[in-house]
Amino acid sequence: MAAKISSILIANRGEIALRIIRACRELGIKSIAIYSDEDARSVHVRRADEAYHIGPAAASESYLNINKIIELANSVGADAIHPGYGFLSENEKFAEICENNGIIFIGPKSKAMEVTGDKMKCKAIMQKAKVPTVPGSDGIVEDVELAANIAHDAGYPVLLKSAFGGGGRGIRLANNEKQLKQEFEIASAESRAAFGKAALYVEKFLERIRHIEFQLIMDSHKNGRHIFERECSIQRRHQKLIEMSPSPIVDKKTRERVGEIAVRAATAVDYLNAGTAEFLRDQQGNFYFIEINSRLQVEHPVTELVTGIDLVKLQIAVAQGEEIPFKQEELKMHGCAIECRINAEDPFSDFAPSIGMVPNCNISSGPGIRVDTYLYPGCNVSGYYDSLVAKLISWGNDFEESRIRMKNGLSEFTIEGINTTIPLFKTIMDEQNFIKGDLSTDYLERFSIINKMNEDAKERSKKNSSAAIATVLLQTEFVKKSGRIIPTDVAQSNLSWKKMTGK
Amino acid sequence: MELKLADLIEVLDCEIVQTLGNGSIIIRIGKEEHNLRLLKLETNEFEFILDHTFHHAKIIQSNSIETKILIDGQPLTVKKHLKLTQVLGKSLAMVESGGGANNLTSQIPGRVVSVIAETGMPIKKGDSVVVLESMKMQVAVKAHKDGNLKEIKVKQGAAVARNDIIAIIE
Repeated sequence: MAAKISSILIANRGEIALRIIRACRELGIKSIAIYSDEDARSVHVRRADEAYHIGPAAASESYLNINKIIELANSVGADAIHPGYGFLSENEKFAEICENNGIIFIGPKSKAMEVTGDKMKCKAIMQKAKVPTVPGSDGIVEDVELAANIAHDAGYPVLLKSAFGGGGRGIRLANNEKQLKQEFEIASAESRAAFGKAALYVEKFLERIRHIEFQLIMDSHKNGRHIFERECSIQRRHQKLIEMSPSPIVDKKTRERVGEIAVRAATAVDYLNAGTAEFLRDQQGNFYFIEINSRLQVEHPVTELVTGIDLVKLQIAVAQGEEIPFKQEELKMHGCAIECRINAEDPFSDFAPSIGMVPNCNISSGPGIRVDTYLYPGCNVSGYYDSLVAKLISWGNDFEESRIRMKNGLSEFTIEGINTTIPLFKTIMDEQNFIKGDLSTDYLERFSIINKMNEDAKERSKKNSSAAIATVLLQTEFVKKSGRIIPTDVAQSNLSWKKMTGK
Repeated sequence: MELKLADLIEVLDCEIVQTLGNGSIIIRIGKEEHNLRLLKLETNEFEFILDHTFHHAKIIQSNSIETKILIDGQPLTVKKHLKLTQVLGKSLAMVESGGGANNLTSQIPGRVVSVIAETGMPIKKGDSVVVLESMKMQVAVKAHKDGNLKEIKVKQGAAVARNDIIAIIE
């Protein structure tokens, strides 16, 4: 039995660092934040009990600097480290070093991570455990010609995936040999840049698939539960944009059947703590296991809202040796939750990164709305780290109520200074196929969503045109012409409080 | 004065018709008159109720040709002095076809991860020239037209700002 945790070093930044700080507060655990030069003014620094500078802006010298983080954890006496998602969260060496230093790593053991992080090794184990996996080629391909041969045999289109990638990074689609060769070069460069090693494999691309994943929690007493599914089919370049629970096509029977497979998959790799088993579902209704993400997922709030479980607190409980406090059959799903990932990307120009100061923002609130974000008026959105600036999550008694609340939330959310994916989500929330639940990973292309978004934006411009014209008129007449900010007749006689209150 | 929204075709003639008490103003846009009640008036920020609907307007950028505004958080561009804009537009278009069109510029800020194309080689529209990284994303900057790659202006590892010239294609 591990000791009770009284302090946690959070090896992350942004909204997830804030999420973990909040859980620490609830549990009376001291939260210890780290920050790079770039993040000195970030919100996680302000909210943590203690915050320590860890290095320059570049992640490789700060949030990925294992030696420095361990040194700091030792010197401040942190009982545990929570890695969040991204950065060191799926780095088995980091987990191992934590273990060797007597620091609790809030996540699986390094041995299990070694397996889940190696997609090919993992696939082999799953096949042994009778967990269905994606049909297609096996093994790492180092040579571009060999990759072309395999792709030819499997039949185009194929996916190029990095064996060390995660969260959709480094996955590329090739429709023909020319594309394959081009993408192979870029993908291996990307993999080398991000993980220091290029190991790609080729897999047949299943068309019109859904991406459905199961939340898992495994404790050190050999208990394992699945906490239902999340539908994550709406993606762009294999990056999730919208997640929801329940999935519109998973019924109770399927949920129990695939959930049981997910727990079996986690057991097969001796998994510990929270994780996610990702599946692809084809049009015939077959589920294929693709991987276990050995971390807390970005989209975990969706599960929290439909089950009432606090996954971060549960992670901490399991990390200090406690048993999972509920049985599988005790879990109930209530209502429907939707999450939109608000990224600092311009959906009107091919999702180009958009960085800089945010002079002002309005964060949505109201019934059934949750916002996890690091934004505040005057904050900085940095180009050094990923583009997720906020997660807007809605909950309703059913899909329709959740969708309407999401629309509310999106209309209230304004972020000045940067472009975001909010307009895209506004369009999707009103899109007929989304409402019907006809989703697939090629949803955006299949239903020309980007064109629809452009049309919607034009409509909104039209609607706001009078207000825009009025603004320029006011500016010209009152600000510029008069040389004063407020014309005397408006300011003194008409806008004064005395006049307004009628006294 | 005549104003036009960037996305829309219609040119609208507008003016202030009358200033009433209590911050109330009557304005005319096109043929229609509207009631406007001013709540806040600062150099770059306005709040008003226009025909019973509240609006918050922030001026992001303003020059003699156009004004960029956020209306309730949504960006809009209003074109001003339309006759002058047309004249300028024509002369700008001439400059574009002369030299500017050869420049391949970056649409995003980032760092050059790799240079893919080779100087002096023929290149087709859509071919990748360099790969940039920003916000953990790798984005290829692709040729905007067919031609010969005359020069690549950036090196691996270099920082690139938005609208920087990446290469010259002739």
